[in-house]
Amino acid sequence: MRKISRLLIANRGEIAARVARTAKARGLEVAVLRHAAEEAGPAHAIADQVVTIEGPTPVAAYLDIPQIVAAARKAGADAVHPGYGFLSENAAFVRALDAAGLIFVGPTAEVIDLMGDKVRARAFVAERGFPVAPSAIEDDDPASFIARSRAVGYPLLIKPSAGGGGKGMRIVREDSLLAAEIETARREGQRYFGDGRLFVERYIERPRHIEVQVMGDGRGNVVHFWERECSIQRRFQKIVEETPSPALSPAQRLEICETAAGIARAVNYRGAGTVEFIYAQDGGFYFLEMNTRLQVEHPVTEMVTGFDLVAEQLRIAEGEGLSTGQADIRQHGHSIELRICAEDAAADFRPAIGKILLLDEPRGEGVRVDSGILEGGRVTADFDPMLAKLIVHGGNRAEAIARARAAVRDYVILGVTTNTGYLDAILAHPAFAAGNVSTGFLAEEAETLTAPGEDMREALIAAAALSDQWLLYEVGQISEIHRRMGAWRN
Amino acid sequence: MRRIFEIGGEEREFWLSHDGRGYALHEGARQYSAALTPAEGKGAYVLEYEGRRIPLRLAVGDGATFIHLNGRAWEVGVIDPAERLAGAGAGAGGDVVLAPMPGVVVSVAVQPGDAVVEGQPILVIESMKLETTLTAPRGGRVAEIGFGPGESFGLKAVLARLAPEEG
Amino acid sequence: MRRFQSRIDTNAADYKENYAAMTARLAEFHARQHAARYERPQRDLDRLARQNKLGVRERLKLLLDPGTPFLEFSTLAACREYDGEVPGAGVVTGIGIVQGREVAIHANDASVKGGAWYPLSAKKIIRLLDVALENRLPVVHICDSAGGFLPLQRGVFPDRYLGGRVFRNQVQLSKMGVPQIAVVGGHCTAGGAYVPALSDYNVIIEGTGAIFLGGPPLVKAATGEEVGVQELGGAVMHTSVSGTADYRASSEQHAFSLAREIVGQWKRPAKTVIETAPIEDPFYDPKELYGIIPKDRKTNFDMREIIARIVDGSRFHEYQPDYGTTIVCGFAHIWGYKVGILANNGVLFNDSSLKSAHFMQLCNQNRTPLVFFQNITGYMVGRQYEERGITKDGAKMLMAQGGSVVPKFTVIANASFGAGNYGMCGRAWDARTLFMWPQAEIGVMGAEQAANTLADVKIRQLMREGKTLTEAEIAAIREPVLESYKRDIEAYTSTSELWDDGILDPVDTRNALGMSISAALNAPIETPPHYGIFRM
Repeated sequence: MRKISRLLIANRGEIAARVARTAKARGLEVAVLRHAAEEAGPAHAIADQVVTIEGPTPVAAYLDIPQIVAAARKAGADAVHPGYGFLSENAAFVRALDAAGLIFVGPTAEVIDLMGDKVRARAFVAERGFPVAPSAIEDDDPASFIARSRAVGYPLLIKPSAGGGGKGMRIVREDSLLAAEIETARREGQRYFGDGRLFVERYIERPRHIEVQVMGDGRGNVVHFWERECSIQRRFQKIVEETPSPALSPAQRLEICETAAGIARAVNYRGAGTVEFIYAQDGGFYFLEMNTRLQVEHPVTEMVTGFDLVAEQLRIAEGEGLSTGQADIRQHGHSIELRICAEDAAADFRPAIGKILLLDEPRGEGVRVDSGILEGGRVTADFDPMLAKLIVHGGNRAEAIARARAAVRDYVILGVTTNTGYLDAILAHPAFAAGNVSTGFLAEEAETLTAPGEDMREALIAAAALSDQWLLYEVGQISEIHRRMGAWRN
Repeated sequence: MRRIFEIGGEEREFWLSHDGRGYALHEGARQYSAALTPAEGKGAYVLEYEGRRIPLRLAVGDGATFIHLNGRAWEVGVIDPAERLAGAGAGAGGDVVLAPMPGVVVSVAVQPGDAVVEGQPILVIESMKLETTLTAPRGGRVAEIGFGPGESFGLKAVLARLAPEEG
Repeated sequence: MRRFQSRIDTNAADYKENYAAMTARLAEFHARQHAARYERPQRDLDRLARQNKLGVRERLKLLLDPGTPFLEFSTLAACREYDGEVPGAGVVTGIGIVQGREVAIHANDASVKGGAWYPLSAKKIIRLLDVALENRLPVVHICDSAGGFLPLQRGVFPDRYLGGRVFRNQVQLSKMGVPQIAVVGGHCTAGGAYVPALSDYNVIIEGTGAIFLGGPPLVKAATGEEVGVQELGGAVMHTSVSGTADYRASSEQHAFSLAREIVGQWKRPAKTVIETAPIEDPFYDPKELYGIIPKDRKTNFDMREIIARIVDGSRFHEYQPDYGTTIVCGFAHIWGYKVGILANNGVLFNDSSLKSAHFMQLCNQNRTPLVFFQNITGYMVGRQYEERGITKDGAKMLMAQGGSVVPKFTVIANASFGAGNYGMCGRAWDARTLFMWPQAEIGVMGAEQAANTLADVKIRQLMREGKTLTEAEIAAIREPVLESYKRDIEAYTSTSELWDDGILDPVDTRNALGMSISAALNAPIETPPHYGIFRM
């Protein structure tokens, strides 16, 4: 047992604020980071201390291990919460913290190493009898890679061993293209990750993405907090997540969740983690990867189970262990999360920048907003375009969808283009309402989802014109007689 | 009184009038009546437009107005046509850099053939015990530099010439 | 103020006949106006297009505030001169709104003889600048003129109210602190060069605008120097070398956008305050004027019915309703502005003259602008009336009218003959604006009287020579005189000669007066009023 008294949050945006809130509620002091080029966010307002970090770009500063460790020292922190992204799954960072005598709120460096290598992780899982899709790993025997790939069967997916985020992945449907696609994938892997090693696996048609939240105390106790469905993805990135998954029967749900817990147990997992699966239309599911951190979409789990996952993380980090046993973790109702991103859905999700001129977040029964922005702040291209998350809870899925629609339509962010209208279009889509989606849904329905809807252009122009103070002043200079006479000519 | 509004890449020119009772927007021969009244809430208004009452939220930015209407946010670019005309005028800057007064060339920053942008320093001259930097009147390519460092010149001498614009 | 109760029966046969007659007249009038504004020989339009210049009407559109009125003066000026080849005398003038400000506009029409100044062009421009002076209206000059029309130079150049007066008026305006701007969208040669030079601000359009005292051919003839238009007086030279021009515009659009910005910098004048009421449309439809104005000029009609279709709410407070009944005097509002109206309901007698003089003094006392509706054949003649001092009473009316300090506005609604024209504020009496209805006539006396008078002189002369004339011979003398005189007293002759500020469709009278009154309030009203000697 080692009580944390001061926590450095080595992250920014909404997750820094979200972690800070729980930490403060638990009586911890909180330090956060800020790069000179970064706007103040909600976390800076909550924190007890803000440590300035430097670097050629803000992202580089957040990835700078020595600097973050030094910041923790400077802040007098005894623990570091990495949030997600940045250094959250970086074993070297964990080792550096260990060396500095600081607690890392997360798993051990060894587990991170194992799960961070997709090829090793997969082999580890398969060896222990958990389901993985048919696959071939180049490293096993490079000479026979093409032959073994062919044996996996078509369609198949080529992935870089060191990959992530969908980069460098290629789908191959015909044998004649296999060799060429492998070469392309290798070049891309080399370019993106500096590592040209590949593996292939069976490509599951119209798959769903289902993941399971797990948590372990590092002493052999592992529980799951049920699943989340994250099939709504654009460019392989999730933007709508929900729980429970509408795809699963109770038996399947139990099976997939226990599989996940089993995998975590196999590594004696410590902290919060997520086991991701590919779920096929026939009900089969295959291990995809394990994320050894808190996920962006963790709030939906919190909404239906009633647990604060960050509080659990901190308890575990302090050696206090889990606050609950599996039997007490139940799903109540339904929760949906929408990722509010500064991007133009109609222009291939091009990131948008601008100044937030007006911000009014939705409120009400079952509505939660985890936000990383403040009114007056500037949205730049320095960071990920996600600005905030809107999470709703309802008694059932239909109610959750209705609440999510109402809330996202009420979410007012003016000054930068966001995807709120697009998210509303997703929620309004009949296939989404029916729960009949796959990870290809957004691409398949792109046209419907970005359809312009009712033409309000003239009303919008009218509003813009009537809020143009200089225009009104100019028109106001015309005296009443001339206004009322209009464009009279004799 | 005129503005160009841009939505989704489309530009439309409107003008606003006020007949003593209410506003009307005009586009060509078409006319729309409109009124905007503040409502409860940050940036909240009700737009009365062609007989409809439309609640909305609105924020005026630099060169664009952002409107949350009917559950969606929109960006409406607002351009004063005069700005555009003034911009067009800037491109019409002359081809030559003339000496504003007699003097001596101190230094030359570009050579014939160099591409320059509008406002880029071309040469520094000294006259009346004062150094003055002369800049490119428009973007283009330098065709000729009339004088080298140390050379003196008279009023209105052509110190530099830009290649004529194509088209 | 009470609403006037109309007695017009819009179903009556004479109403309908009048309506049809006026409609036909107006169709012709509007067709002539349209032709004067837009119909040009193709070669002139081609030349403008070739020069990359906009027409004067398009230029006005770029200049004026959208959705605001433009009161154009004398569209049909010169319509009976120069074989009708100089529509509008080659100039567009009027009062328009730029950035909310009332401005007088003088714009050359380069589609007419290259914008050359004819004698009537000079008269029209000078009239516009007089309007600017009297009303202290800022002026926008749109310059695009070939210069004086040489074959008629004696009618353009030398006299007091010819060419030089244009520049003299510019100087006077400047002295009074009334701003002027010139947009040079063509050549300003010789005297014309002074228009931009004497303006407080000017904008010159690159490529088309040029200012010089002598153009390239004249320079060559005078000194042998060969020089191009741009070097001699182009936009770059004048804005960067001579300083004769202030702003260089890259296009017509840019030029007028700049001009609008500049006008927007001007101080907005504190307008003279007079009594006002909320603006109200006339209760009776102004179109009914068409059925009220008789098809025969000689038929009398009640001027109150006319007033009721021009003033706010058709409300009219009549002064001395039972005295001097051949003139209707009273108060009303036009576009909210309180006005005193004098309108003829017959020949002026002693009592009607005295009533008019008294009423005008009332209006001067309480700063109420005067509006005259003329339908006057003259002051009553005859021994009885002379003995009663009709001339003396007429003089009182002239003294009151001519000595008025309040702005005056005149509409020649039907007849304007003899000294009645003077008493009712004819052209010589400084009405701020004076408009004519298309059927109206103006002359020293009516056509028949004039023709008879002229014929009688001739007949008496022949009889003195011992000749006897048959009825047919008398008619042969009389008819041509009558025909020529009839033409001379028509509204088209008046407007061609610029005796008025234009012919109006009667339904436009209300707006024309509203624009005129509003413009007039840019100038102060001198107080207290004072007059010359009233012959008692």
